[in-house]
Amino acid sequence: MAAISDGPDSPVQCANPDCRVAETGRCVDGLELKACTYFGEAPDADIEADHGEETDEPPAPSIKLRSADTLSLRDASAVLRAGPTRLIAIVGPSDAGKTSLIAGLYDLFQRGKINNVCFARSQTLRAFEAACHDARSESRRAEPHINRTPYGEVTFYHLEVAGGLAGEGIALLLGDRAGEEYREAANDSSISASLHEILRADTITVLIDGDRLLGVNRHNVRIDAVMILEGLLAGDALAAKPRVALVLTKLDAVMGSQFADRVERDFAKIFEDISQRFGHTFQCISLFRVAASPKSPAAERGAGVSELLDYWMGSAMPPVHTGDPPRVNSRMLFNLREISEPEAEETND
Amino acid sequence: MTEESIVIIGLPESGKTTFLAALWHLVRSREVETLLRFGGLRSGEFAHLNAIAGRWCEAKIQDRTSVNGSRLVSMTLTRADGGAVRVTFPDVPGEAYRRMWEERECEEEIVDLLQVKSVLFFVHADKIRAPSWVVDEVALMQQLNLPVTPGEPVDWHPRLAPTQVQALDLIQSLRCPPLDVGPRRLAVMLSAWDKAAEEGLDPVAFLHAKLPLLAQYLTNNADDWDWRVYGVSAQGGDYDPAEDEQEPSRSADELRELDIPSDRILIVGPTHSSHDLTEPLAWLMS
Repeated sequence: MAAISDGPDSPVQCANPDCRVAETGRCVDGLELKACTYFGEAPDADIEADHGEETDEPPAPSIKLRSADTLSLRDASAVLRAGPTRLIAIVGPSDAGKTSLIAGLYDLFQRGKINNVCFARSQTLRAFEAACHDARSESRRAEPHINRTPYGEVTFYHLEVAGGLAGEGIALLLGDRAGEEYREAANDSSISASLHEILRADTITVLIDGDRLLGVNRHNVRIDAVMILEGLLAGDALAAKPRVALVLTKLDAVMGSQFADRVERDFAKIFEDISQRFGHTFQCISLFRVAASPKSPAAERGAGVSELLDYWMGSAMPPVHTGDPPRVNSRMLFNLREISEPEAEETND
Repeated sequence: MTEESIVIIGLPESGKTTFLAALWHLVRSREVETLLRFGGLRSGEFAHLNAIAGRWCEAKIQDRTSVNGSRLVSMTLTRADGGAVRVTFPDVPGEAYRRMWEERECEEEIVDLLQVKSVLFFVHADKIRAPSWVVDEVALMQQLNLPVTPGEPVDWHPRLAPTQVQALDLIQSLRCPPLDVGPRRLAVMLSAWDKAAEEGLDPVAFLHAKLPLLAQYLTNNADDWDWRVYGVSAQGGDYDPAEDEQEPSRSADELRELDIPSDRILIVGPTHSSHDLTEPLAWLMS
């Protein structure tokens, strides 16, 4: 198409940076060239003329949206106050399968309901997606992946579910803390006071690494699990009498191994040991076997996760909003209040 | 005359501009019966609408909406009861919505545009990226123009997220500060429905099958949406690229052969199918 101009000396150009009239011969806004107020004008020197060039124009003012990464302690407290919530602490070494378990649960919801429990909403979608990515990458790695959870703080994945055992709706807060910190509680029980998610947990999920039970360190798996719980107990972190889920992870590795029976015996022994030592400490202890992110087809992806979800939806703690006075624990740094009470500033014990 | 605003939301290339183009042709041409009818050209500027409708009529693909600023498009329509309504559609580039998911930011101007009670949410039914455990992430990163080093582990990037997660986050965001204005009406528009219809599912069943996380969210409805799902084919088939030098495609030629261009349009709603793209608008404003 021939370029049109007002006269022999009129340049074929446009002050609109999106218009390519010199190349296409037509106005990007669909106007007749003579009708366009920008046609013939030189592009403003301060406005970007080509893609990729820097401009001097300040960016348009923006507003921050709510983060979709894991929730802070404060944001998790708000969820606890807002309605029925289950706080799930997940305890175990850094490569025991915590991220895979969280990703596996979320991934099942991406496919549909789980035992008539359906996804309602989540404030941490980006965090779940990043966990899925890590779990997928982990499932293809030959070498163990270094845990990305920062040291010294707990954050939470947030999931609201409804239907089935979730009834009208329950919020799940899944604690995300570096596994090594729980191990340190075995060395120094005073650390337990800072493990807020343990203090308030409805369920403590203890991960037993099925892959590690196959190896030469199999006995240390039991010893480490017991020592962590002993450290938490000595640090008075279990006073609220939570439930315990003892979870054998990486079931695909176990089932694909010639030592599957031995692993089952070791797992049973761990359960027996913990029950004997901590029988009165916990409300109940239940066993689960999961293959959240299998590396082999020996187990179906997500195997065991739905049963664990059902267990998580049971509660050890009384609901905050029933009108009963909250259970007082001088070490609880969550400010739990009945919904009818006015907001007050958080204080540290 | 009453004023109504309907915000059109969707990731890049989800069919938003094509819908506007087809809608404008539909109401101006008066080729088929519509619930909302053309109300005249008394006020407003129609250059953009005329341009995109012209391209639509020629069965040519629309240019990408300019990323520099949103555009307010409005048209005066007449209701069945004779009342006139001026409907305004902010034509926001899809990149703005992508930025909301990826960078958790929204320009102030767009925040204002998003705070209306009626929402048309577009998802391209033929370009849904499902969550997958067997994903060649390197190839996907390259397809999405994200940097990748061969042989190195692929870092997570929000653009890798499945379509249903990005869509869900956008819709959830409308019920959170700073965008929340209380309960709203939401019409989920599954665009390129001519491609999706081959699966033999109605729009709601398609939503459950292909976007199950989003379907659960809407069905459970913790955020109190008044919602519907529509399958929309605003083009009726594949269009030709905008450049004249390209060889016309057979699909586009066949569409141009139709005596009534509005017959290209198909919208499948909760109760029936028609050519009437004003139907979801009438519902949103009712």
